[in-house]
Amino acid sequence: MSGASPAIRQQVLDRIRAATRNQTGAAGEKHSNGSALPRDYVRHGSLSTEARLELMIHRLHEYDAEVAQCAPEALVATIAAQLEKSKKRVFVAPAGLPKEWLAEGFEWRVDQIGQGLTTAEIEQADGVVTTCFCGIADSGTIVLHHSAAEGRRVLSLLPDWHLCILRASQVVETLPEYFSRCNQAPALVTWISGPSATADIEMTRIKGVHGPRFLHVILVRDDGAEEILH
Amino acid sequence: MSHTGYRPVLDPAIAPPFPDAALPVLRNPQLRKNVAHAIDVIQNKRGRLVEEKQDWQALRTAAAAIRTHALENLGTYLEQFEERCTAAGGVVHWASDAADARHIILELLREENASEVIKIKTMTSAEIQLNPHLEGAGVKVFETDLAEIILQLGEDEPSHIVVPALHVNRSQVREIFARRMGIENLSDDPQALTAAARSYLRRKFLSVPTAIGGANFLIAETGAVAVVESEGNGRMCLTLPKTMITIAGIEKVLPRYQDLEVMLQVLARSATGERMNPYTSLWTGVTPGDGPQRFHVILLDNGRSQILARRTERQTLRCIRCAACMNACPVYRQTGGHAYGSVYPGPIGAILTPQLTQMHHAQSLPYASSLCGACYEVCPVKINIPEVLIELRSQVTDQERKQVRRIFDPMYLGLRMANLLFSRAWLFHAAQRMGRLALGFFTRKDGWIHALPSVGAKWTQTRDLRGLPKQTFHTWWAARESASSKIGDGEAR
Repeated sequence: MSGASPAIRQQVLDRIRAATRNQTGAAGEKHSNGSALPRDYVRHGSLSTEARLELMIHRLHEYDAEVAQCAPEALVATIAAQLEKSKKRVFVAPAGLPKEWLAEGFEWRVDQIGQGLTTAEIEQADGVVTTCFCGIADSGTIVLHHSAAEGRRVLSLLPDWHLCILRASQVVETLPEYFSRCNQAPALVTWISGPSATADIEMTRIKGVHGPRFLHVILVRDDGAEEILH
Repeated sequence: MSHTGYRPVLDPAIAPPFPDAALPVLRNPQLRKNVAHAIDVIQNKRGRLVEEKQDWQALRTAAAAIRTHALENLGTYLEQFEERCTAAGGVVHWASDAADARHIILELLREENASEVIKIKTMTSAEIQLNPHLEGAGVKVFETDLAEIILQLGEDEPSHIVVPALHVNRSQVREIFARRMGIENLSDDPQALTAAARSYLRRKFLSVPTAIGGANFLIAETGAVAVVESEGNGRMCLTLPKTMITIAGIEKVLPRYQDLEVMLQVLARSATGERMNPYTSLWTGVTPGDGPQRFHVILLDNGRSQILARRTERQTLRCIRCAACMNACPVYRQTGGHAYGSVYPGPIGAILTPQLTQMHHAQSLPYASSLCGACYEVCPVKINIPEVLIELRSQVTDQERKQVRRIFDPMYLGLRMANLLFSRAWLFHAAQRMGRLALGFFTRKDGWIHALPSVGAKWTQTRDLRGLPKQTFHTWWAARESASSKIGDGEAR
């Protein structure tokens, strides 16, 4: 372990301990994990399911993401239609993506476990299809925990076109609601709120700096609201 | 800025005092226009989003409480972070000061045989002046944030902690990119300029095996590190290289993963006026098959534990570097960031920089404020910046009083005189009578004083002074009291 000097570590920790000695927290809960601190902010949303999904779609549109909706049984066909519409040919798929989603007529590069795609193979692909862990309507955020079907981080980073499958049951209204859905803290997380962007030049918002420039979402209506789709 | 012929100095040890450093900007209308435009855009966006957030104040209260709690238990949480991060395959290093941190990083790069590094924007690395140090040791550094590229290629310095190149406009960026990237016929359209940066960096991302970045948050509960960004350059650096080196101030720790539900909500809104920034990444040590397989975190003290020890000043360390304070500051709006002579400009810089140098440098910064309180009002973690400014001013004054050369300093002479006058009534009255007599001499028939000699001219050069009334409040009051006692007891009450 290079450079890690126990003496410096002790010195820094001693200084910190000396600086914080003889004090109790404002809430008198020193050494607890802070769970009893004031948390009067909005934890749970108040929107109906329909309004929550509408908000999610609205926010995604604000980010210039495209959203398609479909019933669960129409998902495979919808994926194929989206791929067709993209006019792209080569797609990357995470190891855990259901095999039936890999539509015919396209070149699929599947990221096998233990024998992943090379960076070049991913970079030269036109697009990527993944699932996600959660959608947050309030900010139009898609959360990836990088499970087998969500893919390694690099898969949803290098291709310029990202199609993300989001189920209605995965959409929460507020950020705190996402955190309540995490039974245990995940090791890897990517929060995506719209495509990569910058405003570094005269605060002009430019889409697509380094991440995917195009984000497409298929919202799978597994909330039993199929009638609105027809 | 190099293109106007000078490079700002952001090392507090050698930077000129604030009023002197502010002059080049105040005399440069283009620069002032660039700064004001950028700030107006962010402020408007932030204002709208904070307005729509019904629970904004509750979020601020929670954010301040979480940060305060983390600081009160900093030792415990840092050890917890170290333990969990190590268990997940990361290596945790501790650095007492900037030299320590630079040494550790250079050693790590030597082990990797790294001749090049790609970097995510990190103010902490700027604080320890890492880039010149690495270049000096023969390591080529590639900044990957668009603004940082503009500054690096333009041989300029950051003037803001979130949008560091906000003082550079599109035609200046065009000139820098065309010259340094060797692109002919480059347009000044931000879209084209961004595309130029994208292709300039793409091959670096794919080939350089070592990355250096900062941390927005360290999570004690899990040993995870979070990086908040917009462009995706952060994700590139966190995903593609073989080795990742993170440098983080010791104050960056949060107790729990769930605390991000507060911090992420206040950070994006405060920093860029977005409900959420495009990308936030969180990783825990090393994940087999995904991302860098060697991960180092350097926990940097560099004066922070001294700030922690002080009652009023400790709140400085709650800062989450959102830059809302500089966007709201009427002084920053006029001077831009370079005047602060530090990588941390604006109100937070005015309190953080002198403290990081343990009050040895940057003594002019606590005065670079009108104490209007706008910074306190927008701060998402409720740092009472004016309160800390005043505390630091008193420390600067205490320092100055001890200096021999201050004995004959006109201001200190004046203040000692005032101290004498105000503590003795008879002296005060005598001085008052003399002053009234003298001012009466300069008062014209219209009741105004148009010109005063000597130091008084500093006032009358630019504005008139109303002549003194016939009597002072004190004499008027005394006369009124004696008159009412003659009229009779009780009636007047």
